[in-house]
Amino acid sequence: MPKYVMVIDVERCIGCMACVIACKKENNVADGYFRTRVVEEVRGEFPYLKMELRSELCNHCENAPCIDACPTRASHRAKDGTVQIDKKKCIGCKACILACPYDARYSTPEGVADKCTFCEHRIKEGKKPACVETCLGKSRIFGDLDDPNSEVSQLLKKHDAAVRLEFAGTKPRVFYINKKFAGGL
Amino acid sequence: MIEIGITGTNTITFPYLEVWDWRIVLYLFLGGLSAGMLVMCSIANLRIPKQPVEELAQCVRAPLIAFIVLAVGALFIIFDLGSPFNLIWGYLTFQPLSLMSWGTWGVPIVLFANALYILAVIPKDQRHRLKFSFLIKISEKLALKMRPIAKLNFALGIFLGIYTGVLLSSFSAIPLWNNATLPILFLISALSSGAAMIVIIAKKAEIKFLFTKIDIWLIVAELVVIALFFYGLYTSTAPYKKAIEPFFSLTSEHFIFTVALIAIFLLLPLALRIKLGELKEFQNEVHEEFTKAQIFRMNFAAVLVIAGTLILRAAIVYAGQLTKLSPY
Repeated sequence: MPKYVMVIDVERCIGCMACVIACKKENNVADGYFRTRVVEEVRGEFPYLKMELRSELCNHCENAPCIDACPTRASHRAKDGTVQIDKKKCIGCKACILACPYDARYSTPEGVADKCTFCEHRIKEGKKPACVETCLGKSRIFGDLDDPNSEVSQLLKKHDAAVRLEFAGTKPRVFYINKKFAGGL
Repeated sequence: MIEIGITGTNTITFPYLEVWDWRIVLYLFLGGLSAGMLVMCSIANLRIPKQPVEELAQCVRAPLIAFIVLAVGALFIIFDLGSPFNLIWGYLTFQPLSLMSWGTWGVPIVLFANALYILAVIPKDQRHRLKFSFLIKISEKLALKMRPIAKLNFALGIFLGIYTGVLLSSFSAIPLWNNATLPILFLISALSSGAAMIVIIAKKAEIKFLFTKIDIWLIVAELVVIALFFYGLYTSTAPYKKAIEPFFSLTSEHFIFTVALIAIFLLLPLALRIKLGELKEFQNEVHEEFTKAQIFRMNFAAVLVIAGTLILRAAIVYAGQLTKLSPY
């Protein structure tokens, strides 16, 4: 089983929001809903300000609280290790939305839970997720962590990566390198 | 100074979670009330051991009302489901780690046991009201098993009462909910509201007196646990400490929670005082007959307790969704 992860190089994000739009277009996400977002965080006292542009999405956690919360196994771990939702089984109880510490999930207008799938349909075809493919600054890097030669493995060897809300113990598979405000993660 | 702008936000998650609303509040309230009633009427029906079974049933209307209350509560949660027709999948599996799964299975089981209880406590002279002859026969047979059925309902009532709190406390992403005191608080408030409801509906002086006494201790316990609930969160890490801020903030956005807090600490002690007053009166007199004023005071105190229970659940459900683990 591969271990798909996403590495986000915070310093390379230019805030073009192409990832947000590419995701919406690729996955036909309804108006007013998003599977990924970009957080623009400014810290410091004027004139000594620092800014970070941080892409956020479903972390496809190894200890995923959304899977535990789901009463029907609609939220499940797919064969490729990613966390997915079987919408035919989702009753729309919203427990998974509340269980996610990253606010990565939402309820669609049809009343079922939805979130980033790492573009499951694309990775099956050997392609990269739409947000990664469209990222101008190459801030988003995707690959198999179990492959020591993959770009993500090499990057994570080289950098001291951080994950969001590490104390929550969910073991996210989205890593941030060159982070500026680890506390803000 | 921290400034945050976010592109690509979902309306239900920003600026704070707006996932569960008044329908869940009513489900938690009605579920708790039903649980409390089942426990309390089981106590009433089990407390006299050596009497003919037909005379044992002290609370005969409480199981019926508990059933209706829980069924209405369950309807509210079904209304809240985004895809209620997919509920069938919930009954094709059982997920032990999912509290929603426990509820999916638990509520119908409680309703079934509750239905047995209703049939078991129907008095002989009222059985003709059942209309169907098979129901009358079942009722006759179940009446002989009233005690084990009451014990089962007692246990299921405790399960249902604590379940509503465990459901919320299982969400580790919601700091206000995620603590071990909440299930205890919800259980005690459920038992307290159940006792209050039985005080309201009971006709026998003996039963009203019994549950007035029981409820006094439950209100005291509830007030202690509410204080411990806030204290525990206050002495915890930053997100947990922040989670109780809405209750103690007077800004217009959070004032509603302050009002809720005041109400909880006002309504419940008020009910406690009224109930204590009743108790003193009863201790000095034989309580065979009630005066109208006594009945009014007792019912008024019970209504305050039930209102406090509803306000408590509403405040915790709504305030919980204002704070999250992430820093924004």
